[in-house]
Amino acid sequence: MRSAPSLLAAIAALPFAAGCSAIQPVQPWEKGMLARPEMSFEGDRLEMKFAEHVYFSREAASGGASVGGGGCGCN
Amino acid sequence: MQLNARAPGQAPDPARGKEAPGTAALGTTILAAAFALPGLHTAAHAESAPEQGVISLKYVDYQDRQPGLERTSVRSPSLSVLAPIAGVWAIEGSLVYDDVSGASPRYHTAVSGASRMEDERTAADLKVTRYFPRGSASIGAAYSDENDYRSKAVSLQGSVSSEDKNTTATFGAGVTNDTIDPVNLIVVGERKRTVEWMAGVTQVLSPRDIVQLNFTHAAGRGYFSDPYKYVDNRPRERNQRNVLLRWNHHVDGSGGTSRLAYRHYRDSFGIRAHTFSAEYVQPLSGGWIVTPSARVYSQSAAYFYFDPVYHGIFGPPFPPGYTFADPRPLSADQRLSAFGAHTFGVKVEKRLAADWSVDIKFERYEQRSSWRLFGSGSPGLQPLTARIVQIGVSKRW
Amino acid sequence: MVEAVGGTIDSAAPVFGVAFAAMASRCEIRLAATTEEEARGLARFAIDEVRRIEAKYSRYLPDSVVSRINAAAGGEGVECDAETVGLFGYADALYQASGGLFDITSGVLRRAWNFRDPRVPGREELAPILALIGWPEVERNGLHVRLPRAGMEIDFGGFGKEYAADRAAAMLVERGARHGYVNLGGDLRVFGPQPDGSPWVIGIQDPRASDRLVASIPVQSGALTTSGDYERYFDADGKRYCHILDPHTGMPVEHWRSVSVLAPLAIAAGSCATIAMLKAEQALPFLEGANVAYLAVDCRGEVFSKAL
Repeated sequence: MRSAPSLLAAIAALPFAAGCSAIQPVQPWEKGMLARPEMSFEGDRLEMKFAEHVYFSREAASGGASVGGGGCGCN
Repeated sequence: MQLNARAPGQAPDPARGKEAPGTAALGTTILAAAFALPGLHTAAHAESAPEQGVISLKYVDYQDRQPGLERTSVRSPSLSVLAPIAGVWAIEGSLVYDDVSGASPRYHTAVSGASRMEDERTAADLKVTRYFPRGSASIGAAYSDENDYRSKAVSLQGSVSSEDKNTTATFGAGVTNDTIDPVNLIVVGERKRTVEWMAGVTQVLSPRDIVQLNFTHAAGRGYFSDPYKYVDNRPRERNQRNVLLRWNHHVDGSGGTSRLAYRHYRDSFGIRAHTFSAEYVQPLSGGWIVTPSARVYSQSAAYFYFDPVYHGIFGPPFPPGYTFADPRPLSADQRLSAFGAHTFGVKVEKRLAADWSVDIKFERYEQRSSWRLFGSGSPGLQPLTARIVQIGVSKRW
Repeated sequence: MVEAVGGTIDSAAPVFGVAFAAMASRCEIRLAATTEEEARGLARFAIDEVRRIEAKYSRYLPDSVVSRINAAAGGEGVECDAETVGLFGYADALYQASGGLFDITSGVLRRAWNFRDPRVPGREELAPILALIGWPEVERNGLHVRLPRAGMEIDFGGFGKEYAADRAAAMLVERGARHGYVNLGGDLRVFGPQPDGSPWVIGIQDPRASDRLVASIPVQSGALTTSGDYERYFDADGKRYCHILDPHTGMPVEHWRSVSVLAPLAIAAGSCATIAMLKAEQALPFLEGANVAYLAVDCRGEVFSKAL
């Protein structure tokens, strides 16, 4: 396949391209918005669990966000 | 007389602190010393113990079909609990019960001879996390049981944050052991073991942006075939790798938040898959939150998947050149073909008094060979569509 | 993971005020919520936290941490917890930043000054008390704290109320409150603007006329605290004697009638305001260097201010 390393390098460059504000560290008193639940990478746990289960049983790809979630017989 | 409208949001100027001796530098140290006090951080975006517990119930109704055949139907109630303990520990657990019934094609999307099944699955998981000033460690276990498949998993995860909590590294490892005893006794007492590890970094880019990059690798050994399908003989080894990039961005104008993600997947079955997902969380007046979502998925076929072109003499489901002692891996499973899939959904949530909230979500999923990206889809397969409805209720304490 | 209740509420969201008494002051929490019950529920967490801090650090309660440390002065000392040790570290930073003027061992001067009795203590009365003041002598080893001489005292009165305001605000933000402020006896910590996005307008009292304002300050977020010579004082022979006492001389400061400071945290704003009062003529360079906005009224009524 077209080389994985260059694809990964392109992906890795994205966060830094996203804003030159990456250079200025964010101070604790500026983090009010980041505390909102929708800004975290967690989510509705039961909803995410069911979505993972649906996609695991209907598609070949799985995983990416966590480890050790256990399997099921639906694939 | 008016002073400024906003309390100083600028960081103390370090250059100013260095070159001005005496009072100038000392003043900024007061602010820094104040922020160093434990418990005065208003925003935790690195790991910190939750202040509140949550208990949630959800009920999902899933139904999929292909033209001419109602396929799988799932009704699934589930429960989850998150409890903080003593300010530095958290326990999370969930219980899921799936009531599954329906018909599955025995090969490709063949309607005739589709296998009918009914099954009940119970699954439980538990995770205990200990929080430290600049990191966390957790241990988890998961168990899933249905009439023909049992899965047990354990995992360890940890995280370490930088001093300013803007950068967090996460790492984890897990082992899953599965036991497979299909009801048709095609095989008995088969096993599968998967070892996974994960490494990731989460970075706060701005007061409105946070990104995460995760690498995951899984090495699986054992029985991967589907015993209910005809002509299904998969390799006894499967290595999978994922790269996941996520970006959450808060939009001041609307008060909403965009959540975008891209996942690149490849495995030793020869499958490459791309997943793009997006959702937009929009709070409205009165405690309502609306979240439309979309997901675009595409995968290539496994190298041992064969198209619905059959043996001249034996006929379906046998591929051309098939011999009964054929040691080659083969599969006619639609899930290993090349296709693309789209999901569209919307979720509506309402926050009620006294820390209760309710939510409902509708989604529609469709899978079509012609929707494959970056290549052509596998021919001769029917599209699959699914509709999913979820309702949930949640209470904090 | 912190999960919070409540999203952005539109400009018509009602704002509720929950009043309570704590730290010998009239206090109020103002916040936007969908119902009064929700507002009271959220405020409950903040009020409980203020009461917790008051009980833990009040020198008037015999089993508070502060009382136990003071009772063990000259003796074995006391084991403290992380929160207390953190506050001692902060007190040390203030001592350094103020050039020794902000000293949490100076509470012993209460024995000489009683602001209900308009009597100015003499030098002989102050001398033995001044000898008990000396923050650098306080022994701190990890969690162990010891006052080396009997009669020494520490108290957190200099920033306790402001610390409680910040902790109360943190409790509210963690539970999803996005609009409102905590007001503990005039020390304010705003944790979010009004529901329509406009700032809260906070008045600064004229130090010589309690029914008049010297300024109105719009605040989107952050803290506004005031240190003044009108909070506890007496006037004798045409001179004002206030409760802010210089730890070197034992006498009240005279240069400023009040100093108000705007900073991201109430504890930082309050500390800067008090140190400015103590610094007298050196207050303005100190406030300039502290990177805060301020409004100071001197003993003649002249106003000096800086916006950011």
